[in-house]
Amino acid sequence: MESVNKLGRILMVEDDPKDVELSLTALEEYNLANEVVVASNGEQALDYLYCRGEYKTRSTENPAVMLLDLKLPKVDGLEVLKQIRSDEKLRLIPVVVLTSSKEEKDMVASYKLGVNAYVVKPVDFHEFVNAIKELGVFWAVINEPPPGSVRK
Amino acid sequence: MTRPKLQLQFVRSPVQRYGLAVVSVAIALGTAFLLERHSIGGLADPPFLFAIAIAVWYAGLGPGIVAFVLSFLALDYFFIPPIYSFGMTSEDIPHFAIFMLFASLVAWFAAIRRRVEGELLKSRDELQNLNQELAKRSTDLESINKELEAFAYSISHDLRAPLRHMAGYTELLQKRTSSGLDEKSNHYIRMMLESAKRMGDLIDDLLAFSRIGRAETQKNLIHLAQLVKEALSEVQEDTEGRNIAWKIGTLPDFYGDRSMLRLVLVNLISNAVKFTRTRPQAEIEIGSANGNGDELIVFVRDNGVGFDMKYVNKLFGVFQRLHQASEFEGTGIGLATVQRIIHRHGGRVWAEGEIDSGATFYFSAPKPQGDLWKA
Repeated sequence: MESVNKLGRILMVEDDPKDVELSLTALEEYNLANEVVVASNGEQALDYLYCRGEYKTRSTENPAVMLLDLKLPKVDGLEVLKQIRSDEKLRLIPVVVLTSSKEEKDMVASYKLGVNAYVVKPVDFHEFVNAIKELGVFWAVINEPPPGSVRK
Repeated sequence: MTRPKLQLQFVRSPVQRYGLAVVSVAIALGTAFLLERHSIGGLADPPFLFAIAIAVWYAGLGPGIVAFVLSFLALDYFFIPPIYSFGMTSEDIPHFAIFMLFASLVAWFAAIRRRVEGELLKSRDELQNLNQELAKRSTDLESINKELEAFAYSISHDLRAPLRHMAGYTELLQKRTSSGLDEKSNHYIRMMLESAKRMGDLIDDLLAFSRIGRAETQKNLIHLAQLVKEALSEVQEDTEGRNIAWKIGTLPDFYGDRSMLRLVLVNLISNAVKFTRTRPQAEIEIGSANGNGDELIVFVRDNGVGFDMKYVNKLFGVFQRLHQASEFEGTGIGLATVQRIIHRHGGRVWAEGEIDSGATFYFSAPKPQGDLWKA
């Protein structure tokens, strides 16, 4: 891929390991998988963003996009989103909610908290794979992330 | 049933009832004395009539009779000469006769009114009880509906996720090994994928079916001819490359939910298209028939493979199929959906068929009433 030198880092917050594996497989096709950091709950995602805990030693740039599930153990997606949007250093990170919830109240809450996109996980495997690929390509390759994001 | 009874309470206990009769006569007596003292003579009767009416009205017939007898005696003793005796002269007999007549009339009316009012209050009570019952039922139903919705939601997501994983991993396995696997192993993998897909379809159909049961119907005047056109364009994909002679008769206007009726037509027409697939020249007719006066009947007839009338009552069941999946695809939800929608419109569905000689599917609906109906 010609834009390989400009890949953005993707922070995937997802608690279902199978969904993670299938997503990574889908992203592999576009050589995007290496740039994915997976957090399996909200707490871990915040640890990553604040460079604390197991991520103490990582470089401090923000991810180019964060794919965020809403139903998460410990700290749920909406709380993570709220935290990010209220933090001066993190508030510009593009956040895509990727969830199985089609409920209006979840959508409204997400948009109120300034989410950049809301994607309902397709139930069909092929549609799921396509959605992940398109999201990956758009946010990690096509989109120009805010300054201070990981790009190589 | 435990709510407090009506506001206009009748007197219940016998002591109170008969007491009321005595007291009202005593008050009538007092009133009659008062009137006499103020030299308004000849007005002794009305207070007693009033007392009798009160007794009948509030305490019933028995106390009414007691009041009547007491009034009669009081009148005779205190007001009819010779005063202070129960005797009477023959001149007073017409007076007493008139008094008795009036008293019975008053008592009779009061008794009728009492009975009617009593029944009215009783039925009002029953009505209120029923209303309460109804309100409770509807809250129960509402909560059941909500539960169902949550259930459907969890089916569509929690159940679909593992299914997606099954299909996903199987596909990845297929991709990785397809060249190295023998024909049988490839067949197994294909069957796994097919089954996962089929289960997905079944879940989708079941969800759609349950949604029809819960969705609100918005009834409007529908031009069926227009709706048939839309349905035909929807099944166009299936008719490509086919030789189908369409025969579309005059169709009535229908009063119903547009999108639901459209689903009915799409289901019936696509069935006709599907089951005439083996025919070199398929014939599909859509038309209307005369009902028994207050109903409209629409039918879809084909010259397809038909069915055995023996199984006609199974046709409209959920997931009931009369053909092998390898012959004709489908989950078996289409006709169940048709039936559910038509039932919700207050109509009927039925079918006629013969093996190898085609099938006709009918649905009916009550004719719309009033101005909306223009045939």
